[in-house]
Amino acid sequence: MDINVKVKSNLRIQAFYLFFLISFIQIGVGIMGVPRFIFKESQQDAWISVILASCFIVMVISAMLFILKQYENADILGIQTDLFGKWLGKLLGTIYIIHFILAFLSVIITYIEVLKIFIAPNLNNFVVALLLLSLVVYSVRGGLQAIVGVFFLFFFLSIWLLGLLVEPIRFMHFNHFQPMFQASFTELWKGAKATSYTFMGFEILFFVYPFIQNKQKVRFPTYLAIIWSSMIVLILTVISIGYFSRDQLLKLEWTVLDMFKIQNLTFIERFDYIVIAEWMMVVVPNMILLMWAITYGIKRLYQVKQKTTLYILAIVILIASTFIDDYFLIRKIIDSVAEFGFWIVYVYPLLLLPMVLIKKRWKRKSGGRDLSH
Amino acid sequence: MRKGKNKSSKLFPISVDKLKTLMESKFENNPDLSFTIFEKSEARIAVFYISYLVEPEMVEQFMLKPLLDGKSKWTNQSILNEIPLRSGSKIEKLEEILDKILIGEVYIYVENEDAALSYLLDKKEKRDLTQAETESLVLGPKVAFTESMITNLNIVRWSIRSTDLVLEKIMIGERFPREARLVYVKSLADETDINTMRQRLKELEVDQIEDSSVLMQYIEDSSLTIFPQFYLTELPDRFVYAIDKGRIGLLVENSPTATIAPSSFFSFFESTEDLYMRWHAGTFLRSVRFIAIFLSIFLTPLYVAATTFHYEIIPIKELLTIGNSRAIVPFPPIIEVLILEFFIELLREAGARLPTKIGQTIGIVGGIVIGTAAVQAGITSNFLIILVAISALASFTIPNYLMSTAIRIIRFPMIILGGLLGLIGIMFGTCFLLIHLLKIKSLGRPYLTPIYPFRWEDLNKALFRLPIAYQSKRFYSYQPKDIKRYKKNKAKTKKDIDE
Repeated sequence: MDINVKVKSNLRIQAFYLFFLISFIQIGVGIMGVPRFIFKESQQDAWISVILASCFIVMVISAMLFILKQYENADILGIQTDLFGKWLGKLLGTIYIIHFILAFLSVIITYIEVLKIFIAPNLNNFVVALLLLSLVVYSVRGGLQAIVGVFFLFFFLSIWLLGLLVEPIRFMHFNHFQPMFQASFTELWKGAKATSYTFMGFEILFFVYPFIQNKQKVRFPTYLAIIWSSMIVLILTVISIGYFSRDQLLKLEWTVLDMFKIQNLTFIERFDYIVIAEWMMVVVPNMILLMWAITYGIKRLYQVKQKTTLYILAIVILIASTFIDDYFLIRKIIDSVAEFGFWIVYVYPLLLLPMVLIKKRWKRKSGGRDLSH
Repeated sequence: MRKGKNKSSKLFPISVDKLKTLMESKFENNPDLSFTIFEKSEARIAVFYISYLVEPEMVEQFMLKPLLDGKSKWTNQSILNEIPLRSGSKIEKLEEILDKILIGEVYIYVENEDAALSYLLDKKEKRDLTQAETESLVLGPKVAFTESMITNLNIVRWSIRSTDLVLEKIMIGERFPREARLVYVKSLADETDINTMRQRLKELEVDQIEDSSVLMQYIEDSSLTIFPQFYLTELPDRFVYAIDKGRIGLLVENSPTATIAPSSFFSFFESTEDLYMRWHAGTFLRSVRFIAIFLSIFLTPLYVAATTFHYEIIPIKELLTIGNSRAIVPFPPIIEVLILEFFIELLREAGARLPTKIGQTIGIVGGIVIGTAAVQAGITSNFLIILVAISALASFTIPNYLMSTAIRIIRFPMIILGGLLGLIGIMFGTCFLLIHLLKIKSLGRPYLTPIYPFRWEDLNKALFRLPIAYQSKRFYSYQPKDIKRYKKNKAKTKKDIDE
């Protein structure tokens, strides 16, 4: 396997689309319930936890960018092969792929669950999964160019949902935040860790990086995306703490979605239906990019055609999501993705960084060629 | 054309009688070949043509008269000198004669010469210039293309008087070749676009093409999609507007419509009228059209979804109104909507097939009489009649007929999705539609530009209009060679009040 990836110039994308890729894949299904999980850990100081978590993510993404900058045009799979050799590199790459597959599964089953709770309790899992997966298959067949287009378009088509939060903001009570600064650092840290599932997804940078045309401009959109998604989670957390009472917040499973219920206009009474249907525009891009990363990764590791992986995996996930119907099982899958992902997404890059640096120095000392060649 | 090319044995010199039998055998059962033999002092000449394709007066006055009155001996050169017509040329091959006699050439053959002389004296039956029928403008030039290529080229030349304008000739069709013209401005149109188009036309191996709309379907990027990828117009106005932005046009002989490529999705909602209006009105009209697409696709599906599954969405007062009008309707919403939408399509189709006068009557009878009766009979609710009428009306605001048909068809799967799965179904349909649009290409260029790939500079031309000072550039999306159209007016300096 080559360490560096050769990408045809017509398949490359502009760096500024990274903003949409990263910010949008972070805000997936996790955000629908995240305020409750943070609140559980750090109570009314949950918003500090969010800030803490975003600072940590900025650190991780700096490390990731630094690692990628050491190479000419490499992705994580190539870097791992370079550092750990062929077999260990493949193994670690496979772990990444498994992480993506689990994340994909968790997204689709969570969304189906939400649809069933809010819109139609007797909805058939199979039908919805079929619809969603057909969208995924259809757009992944268009390649990364089309996928980026989906992100870009759907970002603007779903961003207006934030405007519907005006009503909950009007009903906020600021005494819900008092007394401030009561949580201990461990509580804050636990709260920050509770966001890990929501904020997950920026590891996709490790896969998309070789496809970017103007690499000198990568930093700005990446950091902006992190700040953007952090801001959204922060705002939602603050609003839900202010809007819901303590007991309500601890009871409501999908806090963010419940906030939309109060919004109404003269011609539309219940906005939550529309929000949840509209959420498909948030969920579908997530699934598409994850699926692309899976197929592309497997092609890089095992030289399997992307189309083959795409169809097989779509069928497997279709079957899986048809039968995973139990609430506790879904919760368990999400938790394990969060736990598993925490190590891969948040800790692993920080461990990888010193190794890359050591290898670089070692190569330079031994008079070998530069790492990037 | 291909047939017979290989057996190009030498025909001339030949005796006049032999030529006559040869030509008559070729035009067996065609009584319109006029073959006359003239004799003058031992020399013999033959004059032959297809009688209804040439101007008889021209033949008699300018050709036969000098020929027979002339004193000199008949040779090819002396005839060329004597006949006061400019288009004379020597033809040696039989295939060429057979080919060109059919476009109205008159041939003179002097016995034992080694070439025949040909003169183009064609008589073309063509209709006059009229107003466009399928596209209409309130402001601006209203003349439409006709079936005659010469006329069409003429009209295009009226607007672009420059040697920069290239009208490249390409013959299309294996059995019955037809002339097509690739129209572009040399100093503007993108080289790759021209080459792609030329290649597609030249690689085309079809028997014949019926019309430019058929040719368009042969050379489109994808034939699976419902959306037209090239713009088809019968207004020279729109054609020229596209050409001088650096796009490529295609004219076909005997077709009153011209093709424009590459065309983005949003170009189908542009009308040149937006430019003729002031920019406020232009922007307003264009946004009306965009809202119209939205209404046309989503209005009735949303009604179906809301009344079938999510009646909680509708506020209680409206719900009562809808419930009241739906109370005696025996069908579920999806059937009710499908019936009514189909009825509207029937009306439209009947109106389009019938002559204008009867068509209008049918519209009134169908729309008012049947509509009212349907509500009274309890087949549909009058609330739905309003929605269906609005969405039908909305689809007609789209300036391009092909696109408006496409939009109207999209509504039906949407209604079915809405009826089966409610909002989830409609959302699925929307996502699918958008992803589909993202994947289409027009002449190799992305269909959804300038939205994706995002071109900030083109937004003010594709989606709305700004004052003329901000419109000084051509579309970046089509990559013309020269992006600037005019210089921004910098004469305006900033002034304070009362200065």
